[in-house]
Amino acid sequence: MTSPTSPGSVSDDLRVVAPAFTDLRALAAAPVSVATWRGISQLVVGSVVLLIAAIGLVVALSLSLSLVALLVGIPMLVATLWVGRPFAQLERTRLEAQLAVEISAPTYPRRDGVWASWWAILSDSRTWAHSAYVVVAGLLLTVQSVLVTVAGGFALGCLVYPVIAATNGLTHPPFPLILMVPAGLACAWIAALATQAGSLAIVRVGRSLLGASARAEALEAARQAQARAAQAEGRAVQLTETRTAAVGAADEERRRIERDLHDGAQQRLVALGVELGTARRKVSSDPEAAAALEHAHREVKETLAELRDLVRGIHPAVLTDRGLDAALSALAARSPVPVRVDVPDPPALSRASTSAQAAAYFVVAEALTNAAKHADAQQVTVTATVSPDALLRIVIADDGRGGATATPGSGLDGLRSRVAALDGTFDLDSPAGAGTRLTVEVPCAS
Amino acid sequence: MRIVIAEDSVLLLDGLTRLLEAEGHEVTGYTTADEVVAALGPDDELPDVLVTDVRMPPSHTDEGLRAAVHLRSLHKKLPVLVLSQYVEQRYARELFAGDVRGLGYVLKDRVADVDEFLDALGRVAAGGTVIDPEVVAQILARTRRSGLETLTPRERDVLGLMAEGRSNAAIADRLVVGLPAVEKHVTSILTKLDLPQAADDHRRVLAVLRWLEHEPTNGERP
Repeated sequence: MTSPTSPGSVSDDLRVVAPAFTDLRALAAAPVSVATWRGISQLVVGSVVLLIAAIGLVVALSLSLSLVALLVGIPMLVATLWVGRPFAQLERTRLEAQLAVEISAPTYPRRDGVWASWWAILSDSRTWAHSAYVVVAGLLLTVQSVLVTVAGGFALGCLVYPVIAATNGLTHPPFPLILMVPAGLACAWIAALATQAGSLAIVRVGRSLLGASARAEALEAARQAQARAAQAEGRAVQLTETRTAAVGAADEERRRIERDLHDGAQQRLVALGVELGTARRKVSSDPEAAAALEHAHREVKETLAELRDLVRGIHPAVLTDRGLDAALSALAARSPVPVRVDVPDPPALSRASTSAQAAAYFVVAEALTNAAKHADAQQVTVTATVSPDALLRIVIADDGRGGATATPGSGLDGLRSRVAALDGTFDLDSPAGAGTRLTVEVPCAS
Repeated sequence: MRIVIAEDSVLLLDGLTRLLEAEGHEVTGYTTADEVVAALGPDDELPDVLVTDVRMPPSHTDEGLRAAVHLRSLHKKLPVLVLSQYVEQRYARELFAGDVRGLGYVLKDRVADVDEFLDALGRVAAGGTVIDPEVVAQILARTRRSGLETLTPRERDVLGLMAEGRSNAAIADRLVVGLPAVEKHVTSILTKLDLPQAADDHRRVLAVLRWLEHEPTNGERP
């Protein structure tokens, strides 16, 4: 068994199914070569298969075409064409088994929905080609059958007759015995060559009408790539939308918690501080009670300060009410390191979305904390601008010792994720001994 | 004194009322800005001082501040102490745009420090100016004026306290130094920044604030 050829060039097919046409030795051995006997078996089986297929196709096509006017014909036509696909598979398998050639299966376009899938069958050139195959291959095999049968039968007769004549003593041969042997041999070669040529023809026809077409494949691949790209694009849009919504929801939740804490715990603590302060002023006569009250009062004030810091860390009310410009001033005022805030165009900052402003605020807060805690900085400059292409740009530069890194789990790392979630960029430049410069850009619309 | 308080937290309003009544004042409390504006119309008898929260119903943004600005335009001499959950330079600018006499703007949390609150209230009622240290710090961080770098760190501290509206005596008290030392610092600051010598504290506050918030002209180094 020869190994099936894969891509199927003409020379490959020649070598496998019609070697007699490739070199003299194979030509000499044509009547007894494997290719010839494979070809004959193909011819026999193929004739039967294609006879049945041709009858079926003609009946189904004429029936459905005549009924198209009644609309029933359309599904019938679709069904007829569709049957061509498993039939093509059967034929490819048969040719592979009988002639040892492999014909690659085409990719059929797939569509969702009944009408779309029907139309996909009706408009598919490959599927129509399968029907054409039945006709072309049928005619081919008919011609080949006649040729091979006549030449083979004549060869058999010419070669067998002299033997019968010699044994039975027949004296009146139809024509001279001396010519019978060469004529028989010639016919045997003709039959063998016709078989091999037919095999080649049916393989070539099979390749073009049953197999994949490069152009159709490329078209379908392009269509699928386009569909996948469109799907990916849709998914990206959806992901961006849901991510933006998630960031927005998180910011909204922070604002709610801030409001709850302010309206609840903070007010109560201030009131408690006032009560304790009032009591202190009253009981100055009793030193022990006064000391206890003073202690309690101090505790409340410290708790209040801690709670205020906590609330600012969750979401500063000034950011909600007055925007980023005011919130940056508040941050600068609380920083232990002197901070210079430079906002050349304060109203422009309000063009940034609340999520973008919140991200910028927390980046500056973290950078100022780092400048004071780790960098040993003497001066920090915060610049906030909105570029013409609607990017909110924040630069925080200090004159500290540098060497800052956004190590995983650090405050800066968390902020980098927050900025990334808004499609922003986060650039940390902090060479050892040369200060730290953090540049963050967030799209205003995020 | 007769004091009017606008504060939407009933708990805190109660506490402040008790505190001030214990101090011998007469207190009227309101829980919305609209009520205060309605109560202090053109023909109404004015209190000695109005204390108002900034964030109040219905929108919980700056109703209190707008009420304060409105009432100040109506009653030029009404002393107002504005309490705010956070202090903000632009609010301060709005509030201190006109006459700064009898005006205060402090963080609400400072109320818990009762002594400081009563001190601020007394100063505002007496026509003084009280600006929260955090507002001053914000103004200092945002100033684009040159000249600040010529001040010594001590002079910067004194400038900050001046901007808060404190008298020389109060500054001396706060920095734990003698009055003559403070006077010397003040004179030095006014000279370095080219500010007029002002007799009263509120005019001095105004001069310092105007100087700090002044946008530099082209000739000046930012």
